[in-house]
Amino acid sequence: MSTETKPKAELYERIDSLWTTVRDQFAFLRGDPLAFGGMLVVGAFVFLGLFGPFLAPHDPIEHTVRGDGGSVLRLAAPSADAFFGTTAYGKDVLSQFLAGARPTLIVGLFGGLGTGALGFTVGVVSGYYGGWVDELLMRLTDLTFSLPFMPMALLLLTFMTPNIWLITAIIAAFLWKMPARVVRSEVLSVRERTFVKSARASGASDLRTMLYHVAPNVLPIGFLYTAYGVAWAIAAQASLAFLGFGDPTMTSWGRMLRQVFASGNMRVAWWWVLPPAIGIAAITTSVFLIGRAYEEVINPEIQTDQ
Amino acid sequence: MSKFQRFLLKRLAISVLLTLIAVSVIFVVLRLLPGSPFEALVTSGNLNQEQIDEIRAMYGLDQSIWAQYVNYLGSLLTFQFGYSILRSQPVWDVLEPRLINSLILLVPALVTTAILSSVLGMYAGWNRGSRLEKFSIVSTTLLRSTPVFITAIFFIIVFAYNLEIVPALGMRSIRATPDGYIETFASLDFLHHYILPFTVAVLYYSGDFLLLARNGVVEKRGSEFLKLHRAKGLSEMEQLARAGRNSMLPILTYFTLRLGMIFQGLILLEVVFSWPGIGRELVLAIQQQDYPLVQAAVFIMALAVIIANLAADVLYAYFDPTVSTNGGGSA
Repeated sequence: MSTETKPKAELYERIDSLWTTVRDQFAFLRGDPLAFGGMLVVGAFVFLGLFGPFLAPHDPIEHTVRGDGGSVLRLAAPSADAFFGTTAYGKDVLSQFLAGARPTLIVGLFGGLGTGALGFTVGVVSGYYGGWVDELLMRLTDLTFSLPFMPMALLLLTFMTPNIWLITAIIAAFLWKMPARVVRSEVLSVRERTFVKSARASGASDLRTMLYHVAPNVLPIGFLYTAYGVAWAIAAQASLAFLGFGDPTMTSWGRMLRQVFASGNMRVAWWWVLPPAIGIAAITTSVFLIGRAYEEVINPEIQTDQ
Repeated sequence: MSKFQRFLLKRLAISVLLTLIAVSVIFVVLRLLPGSPFEALVTSGNLNQEQIDEIRAMYGLDQSIWAQYVNYLGSLLTFQFGYSILRSQPVWDVLEPRLINSLILLVPALVTTAILSSVLGMYAGWNRGSRLEKFSIVSTTLLRSTPVFITAIFFIIVFAYNLEIVPALGMRSIRATPDGYIETFASLDFLHHYILPFTVAVLYYSGDFLLLARNGVVEKRGSEFLKLHRAKGLSEMEQLARAGRNSMLPILTYFTLRLGMIFQGLILLEVVFSWPGIGRELVLAIQQQDYPLVQAAVFIMALAVIIANLAADVLYAYFDPTVSTNGGGSA
C-alpha cells in the first residue's frame, strides 16, 4: 500500500467500525423498552420541533380565537373551535404548543452538542497533556463550578436582550464542566494503556495520538454526556423562560407556563398548563432514560438485568 | 508538612482565588447593566439634582470604578452589603430572614432525601433486577430530569387546587403576624404551608442519591470482600450493610456538593410556591435593578458553592487516601 492511500483506508476502516458500533447501540436501545419508549418520544419531539410551526392551525401570537357570536374566546375549555382550549388572551393553546416545540429543540440540540463538544475537548486535552495545561483547564472548570448557573444566567440575560442563541451559548458556557471532568478522568486511565504508549514511542504526534488513540476510547462517555447535556439544556431553557428570561419573540413551552402562572389562571385553565408541562417533562425524562440505558453499555457493572 | 496538609493549603488558596474571581465577575456584570435603579426614581419622583447627587454619593456611585471595586471587596469581607435601593433597608436586614426561610425549607429536605433515597437505593441495588429496582429507577429518573417547577405545578394542581388539602402559596397564611423565628416556624399554619414545597424538594433530589447508592452497592456486590463476608456466614442484611457502608463516600461528597448548590437550584421552587426565600428575592431584585441586593444574594450563592466544593474535595481526600492528593485534587 502506498503511503498516500494508507491513511485513507485506515479512515474508512474507522468509519466502518464506528458505523457498526452505532448500529449495535441502536439494536441495544431497541431491546430496552424504556429506552425505546424514550426514543419514540424524542423522535416525536424532533418532528414537532421541525414541523410544529407549520402544523399549527393558527398563528400562536397574532391569531385570536372567536366563538360563533364573533366574541373572543378567553380561557375556553377544549372544544371544536380550539382543540386544546384558549388562553386568557384568547389565543389557541394547540398552536402555541406546536410552535413552542421549536425553541425547545434548538436550545436542547445546540446546547447539548455545545456542552458535549466543549467538555470533551477540554477533557481530552487536559487529561492527555497533564501538567500545567491540566492545572489551568481544571481550575477553569472549578471557576464555572463556583459561578452559580441560575443567578449568573439571570444576571447576563438582564443586560443582554435574551434571544435563543444567547441562551444556548450561556447554557453551554456553564454546563461543559460536567463532561470535561468525567472525560478527563477517563483519559487519565486510557493514557497509561499500552497502545497509547506504543503510539507515542513510535513517534506519533500529540495531535495524532489524541485523535486516533485516545479520543475514540473516551467517545462513548462523551456521547453519553452530550445526551445528558441535551436534557440539562432543555430544563435550563424552560426554567429561564418560566422566570421571565426567555426569548421574548418566540413562543416556547417554558414561556407558556410562565404566562399561565403569572396570569393567575393555573387554578382553572388545566388545558393551558398540561400540554407544555407534559411536553417538557416527557422530553427531558426520555433523554435521561436513553442515557441510562447507554450508560449500562459503557459500564456493564451497573446493568439492570444480569 | 504532610502531603495532606499541603493539599489542604493549596485547595484553600484556590478557593480564595476562585471567590475573588467570582465576585469580580459579579461586579463587572452589574456595572455593565444598562440603566440605573435611580433613573426610575428620578423620572417618577420629584428629586432635584442636589438630591440625586446626594443619593449617588450615599451609594458611592460618584467615585471612580476602582474605588468602587475596592469598597465593594471590603464590604463583602465584612458582610456589610450596603443599602437596598428599593427597600431602604440595609441589604443584610433584607436577606437574613429570607436566607433563613430558604434554609429551613431546603436543609431538612436535603437531609431527608439523602437518608431515605440512599437506603432505598442500596436496597434496590441489592435486589437487582427486581420490580422495586426498576420502578424506583424510572420514577426517580422522571423526578430528577423534569425541571422542578413543573413537578411543583403538578403537585399544586393536584393537592392544592383539586384536593384542597394544602395551600398553594406562601409560607404563612396572610393573616398570620408572627413575631420572631420561633413563632414563625413552630406553628401548624407554617407546617401546613411547608409540606408541599418540602415534598417536592425531597422528590426532586431523590434521584441522584438513589442512583449513586444503587450503583455503589451493585458494584460492591460482586467484589471479593463480600464473598469473604458471605463465607463467614453473615446474613443478607449484614452483607448489605457492609456493602452500603463502603459506598457511603460518593454519597457523602455528593451531599456536600448539593448543599452548596441548594439556593440556586431551588430559585424556581421558591418562585412557584411564593416562598419568601433568597432565590425569589434575587429574581425580584434583578427585575427591580436593586444592585446591592443582587450582588449580595449572588455572592452568598457563589460562596456556598465554593465552600461546599472545598469541603467535598477535602472530605474525599481525607477519607480515601488512594485519591491523588497532589494532582488536581478534584478529579
